[in-house]
Amino acid sequence: MYTHVYIIALHAQGKIAPETYEAVSFARDLGAEKKTILVLGTLPQVEHMARELAERTGIAVTGAVAENLGHYSAEAYKSTIRTLIEGTSPFALCIPHTAAGYDFAPGLATALEVPCITAVEGLSEGSFIRSLFGGKIRAHVKPSTPSCVVTVLPGAWQAPAATQGSAPDVTIVPAEARQETTVPLGLKRAAARDIGFADAEVIVSVGRGIGSPQNLSLIRDLAALFPKSAIGATRAVCDLGWLGYRHQIGSTGTTVSPRAYIACGISGAIQHLSGMRNSQVIIAINTDPHAAIFRVASCCIVEDLTTFIPVVIDEYTKRS
Amino acid sequence: MKILVCVKQVPDSAETLSINDAPPRIIYGDASVFRMNRYDEFALEEALLTRERFPDCTVDAVSVGPQRVRSTIRKALEMGADQGIHILVESGEYVSPLARASLIAEYARSRSYDLVLAGIMAEDDMEFQVGQVLAELMGLPCATSVMLQEMDRMRGTVYVEREIEGGDRECLTIALPAVLTIQSGMNTPRYPSLSNVLRARRQDLVTIDPPQRWPGRETQLITALSYPDAGSPGNFLEGSTVDKARGLIRILHEHSLL
Ligand SMILES: Cc1cc2nc3c(=O)[nH]c(=O)nc-3n(C[C@H](O)[C@H](O)[C@H](O)COP(=O)(O)OP(=O)(O)OC[C@H]3O[C@@H](n4cnc5c(N)ncnc54)[C@H](O)[C@@H]3O)c2cc1C
Repeated sequence: MYTHVYIIALHAQGKIAPETYEAVSFARDLGAEKKTILVLGTLPQVEHMARELAERTGIAVTGAVAENLGHYSAEAYKSTIRTLIEGTSPFALCIPHTAAGYDFAPGLATALEVPCITAVEGLSEGSFIRSLFGGKIRAHVKPSTPSCVVTVLPGAWQAPAATQGSAPDVTIVPAEARQETTVPLGLKRAAARDIGFADAEVIVSVGRGIGSPQNLSLIRDLAALFPKSAIGATRAVCDLGWLGYRHQIGSTGTTVSPRAYIACGISGAIQHLSGMRNSQVIIAINTDPHAAIFRVASCCIVEDLTTFIPVVIDEYTKRS
Repeated sequence: MKILVCVKQVPDSAETLSINDAPPRIIYGDASVFRMNRYDEFALEEALLTRERFPDCTVDAVSVGPQRVRSTIRKALEMGADQGIHILVESGEYVSPLARASLIAEYARSRSYDLVLAGIMAEDDMEFQVGQVLAELMGLPCATSVMLQEMDRMRGTVYVEREIEGGDRECLTIALPAVLTIQSGMNTPRYPSLSNVLRARRQDLVTIDPPQRWPGRETQLITALSYPDAGSPGNFLEGSTVDKARGLIRILHEHSLL
């Protein structure tokens, strides 16, 4: 039985990041006797968010307020959290594994002289389960200290159902956030990149397995079979310059949920899956029978896409 | 001005790996091919681009690992790094990110680097940690997932844009010296030039023996390794290539997509 765990709530534009609630479910699964949620920011947002957190989870919330907590910064978060938990000996600090979470969690752990275990996606007999090699291998990791910092992989736990009954107390405390080496300058929005994903019934998506940009014509020909289609891509394909970033699907690209998603030569990295796993039908074509994409696909095809796609087009044209 | 780039060697593919149960260890098969972690290639490229902007700049590449990682350090020299540093760790055991970062910090602390770069994560362990831990150990500020950096040497700061969910960017300036972890797509990593390949062949690497006891070595342990649940909920199409093509067309018809 673990004694006390903290959950660090993350937020943007005054809204709690949904991954925070997933971290709450993770913390519940740890079976801790005592749980506290910490939320950092400025007034009045912190108070609203603290209430929402308390009402939805039934867990006690401490809101820490400082003028320089208006924008996220690793420096301010690390220093504030350290003072907030001072004197307690938590078993775990649970932090969503988002761009903010992994930014400050390892440094926080190091300052606290405890290990940081990142991108945790499961629990087993006191060990944390996390993926290696793009999900090919799972590692069971155990801290050898009584405390640790854990980042919780988005999508691995479901947000808890709203709790009934009266919400526990919310405490708002003034904080002293250190901000000596950082000047946060705010957010720049991604350029608009609608390439018809919303209207597409079928998204044919391409990964590094395409081998060379010359083979992209295969993807275009396959997409052309469908009345309403669009072409998606993994970040790897965009990084190579084979397709523009407007095509990128995933956690740092666009999130899509078409009627059918055809993944061609895509390994199924978690950051890609988080942008397409709600598609109604997922079809995957990959030469590797152990590719992680097959774990989310309902139709799995182990084939070389460069030879397979021409056969599909050929068979279809013969029929119609 | 001095830049240090942390480069990690990773296996090119997970196909050639297997698992040893006790003690839990990854076994690299004979057919394993090793290469530089892709995110570190972007980090190294960013260092080289910075050197082009500031001619007094030098770029060192450091890697922690067994003898075989020397080929990756050499690759860094071939791409254009001025010096390669090998922190020799022969152990086949898991080396935690804290231990790895401690070894790099030990080396870097007294050498007054202005900027330390690393990839956002390693493709093998996927831990997203070494840069941030290194920064904390060295008492430096750190920004992760960086897609743009501009140094202002007069002010002693660096402006960075870090990519967050949905491709939005968080903008900030941090004081130098600093640690940045680099996201893929920030630049286009170069191919080695012939002159650098020839130079890399002649040049010695600096080899550092780690201390007897490493800090942070045993703070986290891998208790087991396993393959993910074999059972895919999906249906694998069987038969010849033509059978599978027909199967796919049938499925698309059943869902009224064709
Ligand atoms: C913070 C962060 C954010 C990220 N955000 C995103 C994101 O938004 N979107 C995204 O996609 N990625 C994202 N990534 C990158 C992600 O982790 C993966 O690196 C990327 O998705 C891999 O792309 P891939 O599947 O095309 O390439 P690989 O992983 O290299 O996979 C290629 C696949 O092709 C198969 N293959 C090879 N040849 C053939 C053939 N002839 N026929 C059929 N199959 C073949 C291989 O078996 C393999 O499975 C992010 C990473 C980080 C660290």
